[in-house]
Amino acid sequence: MFRRSFNRFCAGEEKRVGTRTVFVGNHPVSETEAYIAQRFCDNRIVSSKYTLWNFLPKNLFEQFRRIANFYFLIIFLVQVTVDTPTSPVTSGLPLFFVITVTAIKQGYEDWLRHRADNEVNKRTVYIIENAKRVRKESEKIKVGDVVEVQADETFPCDLILLSSCTSDGTCYVTTASLDGESNCKTHYAVRDTIALHTAESIDTLRAAIECEQPQPDLYKSLGPENLLLKGATLKNTKKIYGVAVYTGMETKMALNYQGKSQKRSAVEKSINAFLIVYLFILLTKAAVCTTLKYVWQSTPYNDEPWYNQKTQKERETLKVLKMFTDFLSFMVLFNFIIPVSMYVTVEMQKFLGSFFISWDKDFYDEEIHEGALVNTSDLNEELGQVDYIFTDKTGTLTENSMEFIECCIDGHKYKGVAQEADGLSETDGPLTYFDKADKNREELFLRALCLCHTVEIKTNDAVDGPTESAKLTYVSSSPDEIALVKGAKKYGFTFVGIRNGHMRIENQRKEIEEYELLHTLNFDSVRRRMSVIVKTQAGDILLFCKGADSAVFPRVQNHEIELTKAHVERNAMDGYRTLCVAFKEITPDDYERINRQLIEAKMALQDREEKMEKVFDDIETNMNLIGATAVEDKLQDQAAETIEALHAAGLKVWVLTGDKMETAKSTCYACRLFQTSTELLELTTKTIEESERKEDRLHELLIEYRKKLLHDFPKSTRSLKKAWTEHQEYGLIIDGSTLSLILNSSQDSSSNNYKSIFLQICMKCTAVLCCRMAPLQKAQIVRMVKNLKGSPITLSIGDGANDVSMILESHVGIGIKGKEGRQAARNSDYAVPKFKHLKKLLLAHGHLYYVRIAHLVQYFFYKNLCFILPQFLYQFFCGFSQQPLYDAAYLTMYNICFTSLPILAYSLLEQHINIDTLTSDPRLYMKISGNAMLQLGPFLYWTFLAAFEGTVFFFGTYFLFQTSSLEENAKVYGNWTFGTIVFTVLVFTVTLKLALDTRFWTWINHFVIWGSLAFYVFFSFFWGGIIWPFLKQQRMYFVFAQMLSSVSTWLAIVLLIFISLFPEILLIVLKNVRRRSARRNLSCKRASDSLSARPSVRPLLLRTFSDESNIL
Amino acid sequence: MKRISEDYQSRLPDNTALKQQQLPAYRLQLSATGVLSGFFAAGAFCLGMGIILILSAKSIKEIEVKYTKICANCAELREDATNFDKECTCSIPFYLSETMKGNVYMYYKLYGFYQNLYQYILSRSNSQLLGTDLKDVGNCAPFSNSHDGTPIAPCGAIANSIFNDTIILSYNLNSSIPIEVPMLRSKITWWTDKYVKFQNPSSINLSSAFAGTTKPPYWSKPVYELDEEDPGNNGFLNDDFIVWMRTAAFPTFKKLYRRLNRIQYFIEGLPAGNYSFNITYNFPVTRFKGEKSVVLSTLTWSGGSSLFLGLAYTVTGAVTWLASFSMMAIHLMLKKKKMLFIQD
Repeated sequence: MFRRSFNRFCAGEEKRVGTRTVFVGNHPVSETEAYIAQRFCDNRIVSSKYTLWNFLPKNLFEQFRRIANFYFLIIFLVQVTVDTPTSPVTSGLPLFFVITVTAIKQGYEDWLRHRADNEVNKRTVYIIENAKRVRKESEKIKVGDVVEVQADETFPCDLILLSSCTSDGTCYVTTASLDGESNCKTHYAVRDTIALHTAESIDTLRAAIECEQPQPDLYKSLGPENLLLKGATLKNTKKIYGVAVYTGMETKMALNYQGKSQKRSAVEKSINAFLIVYLFILLTKAAVCTTLKYVWQSTPYNDEPWYNQKTQKERETLKVLKMFTDFLSFMVLFNFIIPVSMYVTVEMQKFLGSFFISWDKDFYDEEIHEGALVNTSDLNEELGQVDYIFTDKTGTLTENSMEFIECCIDGHKYKGVAQEADGLSETDGPLTYFDKADKNREELFLRALCLCHTVEIKTNDAVDGPTESAKLTYVSSSPDEIALVKGAKKYGFTFVGIRNGHMRIENQRKEIEEYELLHTLNFDSVRRRMSVIVKTQAGDILLFCKGADSAVFPRVQNHEIELTKAHVERNAMDGYRTLCVAFKEITPDDYERINRQLIEAKMALQDREEKMEKVFDDIETNMNLIGATAVEDKLQDQAAETIEALHAAGLKVWVLTGDKMETAKSTCYACRLFQTSTELLELTTKTIEESERKEDRLHELLIEYRKKLLHDFPKSTRSLKKAWTEHQEYGLIIDGSTLSLILNSSQDSSSNNYKSIFLQICMKCTAVLCCRMAPLQKAQIVRMVKNLKGSPITLSIGDGANDVSMILESHVGIGIKGKEGRQAARNSDYAVPKFKHLKKLLLAHGHLYYVRIAHLVQYFFYKNLCFILPQFLYQFFCGFSQQPLYDAAYLTMYNICFTSLPILAYSLLEQHINIDTLTSDPRLYMKISGNAMLQLGPFLYWTFLAAFEGTVFFFGTYFLFQTSSLEENAKVYGNWTFGTIVFTVLVFTVTLKLALDTRFWTWINHFVIWGSLAFYVFFSFFWGGIIWPFLKQQRMYFVFAQMLSSVSTWLAIVLLIFISLFPEILLIVLKNVRRRSARRNLSCKRASDSLSARPSVRPLLLRTFSDESNIL
Repeated sequence: MKRISEDYQSRLPDNTALKQQQLPAYRLQLSATGVLSGFFAAGAFCLGMGIILILSAKSIKEIEVKYTKICANCAELREDATNFDKECTCSIPFYLSETMKGNVYMYYKLYGFYQNLYQYILSRSNSQLLGTDLKDVGNCAPFSNSHDGTPIAPCGAIANSIFNDTIILSYNLNSSIPIEVPMLRSKITWWTDKYVKFQNPSSINLSSAFAGTTKPPYWSKPVYELDEEDPGNNGFLNDDFIVWMRTAAFPTFKKLYRRLNRIQYFIEGLPAGNYSFNITYNFPVTRFKGEKSVVLSTLTWSGGSSLFLGLAYTVTGAVTWLASFSMMAIHLMLKKKKMLFIQD
């Protein structure tokens, strides 16, 4: 949508190449050069779809693009134009209702968007024009305008920072609304313009800026350090001047905004399949009737009996045309078989039903004071259909509240005993030193911890000076860093903030040390490390680097590694997150070179990312390892129980994490994803690099694993889920690089082969752990599994920005309202506070929603087939003349009033199994897996049931009508009485059928079921009780009352209802007997089992990690 | 601070039964005895009802006389529409072996006459029949106006094709003197039809009320002269007309024609003996390969003499009992097994 409007607003996109030139203040650079006004798009953000003028046509067009709506429109138009037996109102009214409700909903949503747009577009901004501050609306900003932004304002467009109120030309910015990172980032003004502090001086500036064409790339980095993005907020800086370079729809924010693609649930696809079947039935019926009509009319006395002569017009109409209109008329007559009201009911069910999730008290989290969030109501039932769960580790399985546990300096272990309560830390904890490293190394290490980070200080307003160290709160995008800084504080080195580009540290002797921060080589997920370059007061230039062991070890002198490595591995095994710290002294000469390279790379217009990376790579070499840190990431509450329950429910849980293998593996053991009995198959760099040629080794391993698995699992893939419990369990571990080897070795013809073997292995494993995953790879895996044979339903759950891609990719995306910002929660379909809530969400809510909606869909098709079949059969008795069996009022009201509310109430309230039972017995989830209730079998069952019932209704009443009279006073009934009897039996039968299916009778169910029936009776009396002046035909006048005056009719109605429901009643009783005997058998078995009871899972605490050491 | 905590409180979902899906609810618990007794009761009810219905249906006397073939010459005459003014009568003698006790009703029955054709059913004007607007013939095509444009009353195909045979039943007490069986033509319609749905236009007399309209093309007499004996039975209020206007559901149908006036010989009903139908044959049926017949029938509380309802009830009852017996067998078997298990 954005793309489209983008094109519209910025015509001639194709003309632009490479770079754009922006004239600051729209002044020509030199007098001689002719100023050519360039055309850029204005600064209007348009996220709305409609305007007041085009709303009606555009919205209608979009709505009628849906096949179902279009079909109903066609039917309606046919009814209006062709002379048909049923009035156009019967299909027009429901369609009108659907269209109106949807239009109102969409209109309201668009109005909200308009309001949001206006809020942004109409905000006042200050622009420097001719040395004066001019007040303008935000949407009036043109490319090249100089904009003034005050503190705590958001930038109205993408700006190049010209100058700020500070002398060094820096400003602080948070990008919370862009990427969810709430920390302040520092941006620098362009060097040449730092001095221009006033409007007057800015106006004198004559410059042109050469910049890239707009690119949506937001994630690689948030632009070079002097580009301020629209949507970010200015912090801690009084005001800045900037020149607009990208405006409106060309800003990075606008380019990155993409409407979430509509996800469709499996049930919806089933509905469409049913729709096609029923459409086929409809067409067949209409075709059969049309054919038979003309066969029947081939004899002249049937074509035109003397009592029913044709009008002049009819005689003159062409026969082909007549056949065509007859076909259409039959279609209209039978069109109720595809119920328009079903779409309304399904929508309403989904919309109203989704409230139960956000209302659920069990999803309320005390800590964040929030419950679950439902972003879409379209996927409720999909929660009951999940086959694969992809979960992030950090923040999802684990708390993501980091705690500094220990560190190792030069191989010596330091472990702090002090525990911290929360954000404010004290340094009074006694520290235990096991044995000490060299004092200098120790201090160097702690200084490194204090310097090498991007933590911000948030000062408490009550205290005047930020140097008052007692009241410091650390803010960072990564909780690891805070843990590390706090850890350093425990050992006496406190980071007290940055002032004028100098990082200040209070050392153990309470002295303030200042370091000039020269460069920060930011963390990224590819390098997996970050560095800072600082200058000490003495003038030495130092580089501190911290990062994952695998990222650091290759870059330090070899002899230092061994001790630390052992330490790191032991920590990783205990489930801690480890980081290695290294440093390097840089000579001034080297620094000159590095500095130049860095600036060059930062200024580069093309391939900036690659260049930066290369420079970073060059700098971070030949370092000296100082030590390692261990940070504990606590498991989330009940994570293990949840995983176990999900496992028991037949779900495959895959953990996709960016963490290193050992840490991830230990977390997996801790949360019982891997059992001690699980045999682990590893596809990691470790296992593969043993061999010279990686690919050969990989191939070997793949083949070997497959053989092993195939041997264990015979061909019976069907009972795979059940087979799990009996067979040896397998777990697979794979890391990012191996995965890319498998997926991307495209030059190799056998790559496809690799992939399929890999997938075969994956499918046979109970648990899969993918570590060292880049965000994109996570999505890749999800997509791969999604496209498996049988297209399994995938669910992704994560909490961080790096999980967004996987959340968007999978069928159902769940966000955790965690600490890593709200990005995941915003992009998800459902958001819950904790991982443990997944259990109830899937096992109880998902299961119930699925059962409800599946029943709803089947029931709707069933009741409409019941409804229309007698009408079809009647054609055989009325010379195929399209005579409707039921009165128009009944045709219209059947789906809207008489039978709609009971099924809606059922589909909202039904609990065929107790919620508590559902959560406590996860195996029940397997019963509905694979869209079980909407498969061919159940569909045929319902269809045949409907056909049986429709036949009973019709022929039962038909035979009843063979007698001379149904009344003792010999009065005779006509065709409308016949139709009304059939209809009465129909309404009662389908409603009672639902009553039979209801297992959970709340007062609402009672009210709507009996209320609907009462309403039907009441309405029939009312409808037949008055000569309606607006009706041409008084067909129904007193028909219903007269019908009920006959004892025979009463008896027949009762009998027909009973016969229709009899198979259903029998089935229920039989099922009950079977369930009962099964339960009895089970209880017997349980009784015999209890003697030889064995603990199924060893309690977590008893298990040591030595158990798996033999596998490692 | 307090305000904040209240804020948090408000975000806590309401702990109401509805929102937590904890509404008090009744769950159907099927017990074996309950189900079995229910089945037995239902079966017993059906069986009993069935037997009663069959017995009462058996007690009904019904006699049907088809007269299309017997009156073949008349039928042939009516094949040609131009002979409409030629009268044709036909007498059909028959023997009633048993007395038909109680109220006896006379029906005419048509075979193959589609009163339920879509166009046919539409072809009437309710506002005309209500007496409110005699000139409203909008829906009545192709019988809305005569050739000279005067509106037809009653208009439409249904009215036009009214059953116009006259059937007189006579009783041969002795072999020579036939007595005309007294028949009533009143109270053969739905009460609401006669008194609400059909109304004559108000005027001094009927013929002036229908001034400006013409009779339907197939009718021999105008609507206000349908019943020469009873002036109240004319116009739209004619009982035969009203009965005809209630269109039948199927192509083979009966319509009530007369009911026995239980006086003189017929106080008990129709005594056994020789009878004959004297029919003025006007209604053509051979043109659409149809047939006509006269039906004499008594009725009971449940209506006419159809075995269907009785049989259906009996069969349903039998099946229900069969099901309940087999269920009982299964139940006992399971119980025995359980006992065995407990003994183990």
